[in-house]
Amino acid sequence: MHKHNSNKALDSKLNAVSMSIKQSIKNLDSYTHVRGKSLYVDDVNIRQGTFHAVVFDSPKAHGHIKHIDYSKAEALEGVVRIFTYKDIPGKNQIGGIIPDEPLFAEDEVHFWGMPIALIVAETEFIARKARSLIDIDIEELPVITRAKQAKAKGSFINAPRSFSLGDTEKGFAACDYIFEGETFSNGQEHLYIEAQGAYAEPLENGNIKITSSTQGPTAVQKTTAQVLGVAMHKIEVDVTRLGGGFGGKEDQATPWAVMAALATYHLNQSVKLILNRHDDLRMTGKRHPYESTYKIGLSKDLKILAYEAEFLQNSGAAADLSPAIAERTLFHATNSYFVPNVETTVISCKTNLPPNTAFRGFGGPQGMFVIESAIAKAAHEIGVTPRQIQEANLLDENDTFSYGQIAKQVEAKNTWNSATAIYNIEALEQEVEDFNKQHSDFKKGLALMPITFGISFTNTPMNHARALVHIYLDGSVGISTAAVEMGQGVNTKMMQIAAQVFSIPIEHIKIETTNTTRVANTSPSAASSTADLNGKATLKACNALLQRLIQVASEDLDVSEDTIELKDGFVYCNGKKSELSWTTLISKTMLKRVALTENAHYATPEIHFDKTKEKGHPFAYHVYGTAIITTTVDCTRGTYEFDSVKIVHDYGKSMSEGIDLGQVEGALAQGIGWMTMEEIAYNDDGKLLSNALSTYKIPDIFSVPKEVEVIPVETKGHDLAILKSKAVGEPPLMYGIGAYFAIQNAIKAFNPNYNLKFHAPMTPEKVLLSLYDNQPI
Amino acid sequence: MASYNLKINGKAVAVTVDDDTPLLWVLRDELNLVGTKFGCGIAQCGACTVHLDGTAVRSCSIPMASLEGANITTIEGLSDDKLHPVQEAWKELDVPQCGYCQAGQIMTATSFLKQNPNPNSEQIRTAMNGNLCRCASYNRIEKAVALAAKKMS
Repeated sequence: MHKHNSNKALDSKLNAVSMSIKQSIKNLDSYTHVRGKSLYVDDVNIRQGTFHAVVFDSPKAHGHIKHIDYSKAEALEGVVRIFTYKDIPGKNQIGGIIPDEPLFAEDEVHFWGMPIALIVAETEFIARKARSLIDIDIEELPVITRAKQAKAKGSFINAPRSFSLGDTEKGFAACDYIFEGETFSNGQEHLYIEAQGAYAEPLENGNIKITSSTQGPTAVQKTTAQVLGVAMHKIEVDVTRLGGGFGGKEDQATPWAVMAALATYHLNQSVKLILNRHDDLRMTGKRHPYESTYKIGLSKDLKILAYEAEFLQNSGAAADLSPAIAERTLFHATNSYFVPNVETTVISCKTNLPPNTAFRGFGGPQGMFVIESAIAKAAHEIGVTPRQIQEANLLDENDTFSYGQIAKQVEAKNTWNSATAIYNIEALEQEVEDFNKQHSDFKKGLALMPITFGISFTNTPMNHARALVHIYLDGSVGISTAAVEMGQGVNTKMMQIAAQVFSIPIEHIKIETTNTTRVANTSPSAASSTADLNGKATLKACNALLQRLIQVASEDLDVSEDTIELKDGFVYCNGKKSELSWTTLISKTMLKRVALTENAHYATPEIHFDKTKEKGHPFAYHVYGTAIITTTVDCTRGTYEFDSVKIVHDYGKSMSEGIDLGQVEGALAQGIGWMTMEEIAYNDDGKLLSNALSTYKIPDIFSVPKEVEVIPVETKGHDLAILKSKAVGEPPLMYGIGAYFAIQNAIKAFNPNYNLKFHAPMTPEKVLLSLYDNQPI
Repeated sequence: MASYNLKINGKAVAVTVDDDTPLLWVLRDELNLVGTKFGCGIAQCGACTVHLDGTAVRSCSIPMASLEGANITTIEGLSDDKLHPVQEAWKELDVPQCGYCQAGQIMTATSFLKQNPNPNSEQIRTAMNGNLCRCASYNRIEKAVALAAKKMS
């Protein structure tokens, strides 16, 4: 156990501070994780008499509610009360970007799984039993499950958005080759192993504290206040940690927290609402399916001169974050390539699926899949390899993105050239070719996947954070920020920053829970930006404290401030260790009545974006990388394995190599899962068929590539990244897109008559059909 | 409701619950052993893995009716102050990301290593295949099981 209750013990440890906190630091949460001592929302102690809640949801995807009979459920012993929209004192509205989503359905239901009521009972089992006793009569209305259907019917979330650069008409006129086609990429279930949940408890004067498994504590606070019709300061939201988020808890953790708070508001009793897996799968949105069309034009020397794409986003029944996700599709529509003439349009289509939402990559992957499909199609038709086209068009310094930002500190070619050289791409391709010559039942395929991903919330006003840093009397440090720990290791990174500034052991720094009363008005932990924004705020706060400490030390030692530094738990003067230790310095600072607390605010500089012109400089920087994926397809069964994924990745200067490598490996596996095995299925009535872990397959230990090698590209890092260590959460997911094309190339090696299709995920069923597609029997 | 006597983490425990209550609910709600997690409720993800007489089982799907007199070990009982070598290996290789599935992973791994103290990579993958990790820490899980085997030999 950690013990630091005496100053003496702390001082002795301070002597042993390692010289560089940056060296391969361990994830400090591992300590509790491996013991089962980490506390998630369902693990926090609950008060005696806590009630438990279950959501009653729509058994139809679209219709008028004619009648609901709650009488049998209400009569069940142990049922406390059933809440509906009629019990909402404020607004029945939870829409974040567009107010188009009620907390509870009123007269109409818009998706299968739409919440209608909250059953509160003495136990979860009773609430669940009560749910089965509710009778509902719905007059069904036509159901839309596909984006194309929605477009045909004119069912949209908002107006389309278009980005353009140059003049595609002129661009196509100059082309030697022009190809057009269609693509589809399916949704993806987040499948955080910890399902959605919240726990609400009453405080004095009608105040409510909510413990929520959310990436966005402020969204929970704001929406709860709006639904209850109370001021935001009456609602406190606390987040311990998340058992996975992946975007699924950015916006969609909110309704469950609001519902629990609503019940607490009425009952003045604490209420816990944890979704079980089936409820979570049925009621929550997923990654957006996209139906897209493209037109690509190339010159004889394989330069992409013009590119057009139309993205139909299946947004589901309400806006949720769809408009922002649609925007990012356009930002990443040309991936790592410079195309001088671009015209891309995205249309958010309103359907009767659960509102689709953020998922690692946030619309970027869907855009990138389309241009990679267009390149694969062009290569196939022209008779060159996709690699030749990719290589001929990589982004260069000072190239312009379609949204007006000038590319700076570009590592696209650097990562590509490093990957192809270090891993010897010619030899790898030769191996594949030789294998395919020697084997008829198995074929190998290889694909390269470059990535370029912009870092910052594309909505500029969201790029800010605050940190509240306390140094306690005994010299220990407590840090509160807006960052939510969900496996990305942000707690460790924040501790590293403070340890480095103060030069004290990392064990003496504690990261507090994420809490809206300590750090208010926060942006969600999302967009890969959490460590940058909160880290920069933490750095600022720690530096301000350091300046004060140096001032106190200079007065105490009677030397000038510029001769002083804090090192290894002691004050050094002109490079010489003084008698003044960290803990003594803190005591003296306190006695001099100098503040040992600092609150710092950070807002990303330089970024801006004008939506009326669709031009600007929305990203602090970009993350680059190149992956080479090799697969072996069993041509009798249609199954496949990934032999290796070899990556050169742009970490900048990684501040936590172990954590960052874990992010790359995990994101890659999720990307491969999305592209190859995870198949969401709804029937035409809008009912989710892949509604359990038995019918929805995520990567297991056998599905991850046998070998994953990641080499950091040589780079000087970026000043807007925390300690020059670039954001890493989302970008590597898009390496997984290469898995689709690697499999496709193996299929081509087996079946020369195969008509290229771009319809992800490439499940074993689809592989098998493609292997024997268009073949004489 | 019926009364059951079990040995949990070495201690005799008596609980009164419905016959069909799964073990997981008894552990978490009655005994406050919250290190064992609910993941899917249908024995498909492994987050709720505990040891029943030394063997890894899915506590979400085992009714109490079948457990009278059973000897159960949870993540809380795997080690005292010192870490089990599997936990050591897990920490050394920084396996957990969000951490939620890891108690289940560790319980599966410890049970497996008792049966097969010197496994090869394929055997490790086969043993760990039923435990899902959405953060996809799989490569490190495989390495950590191998490292733990080395530590224990």
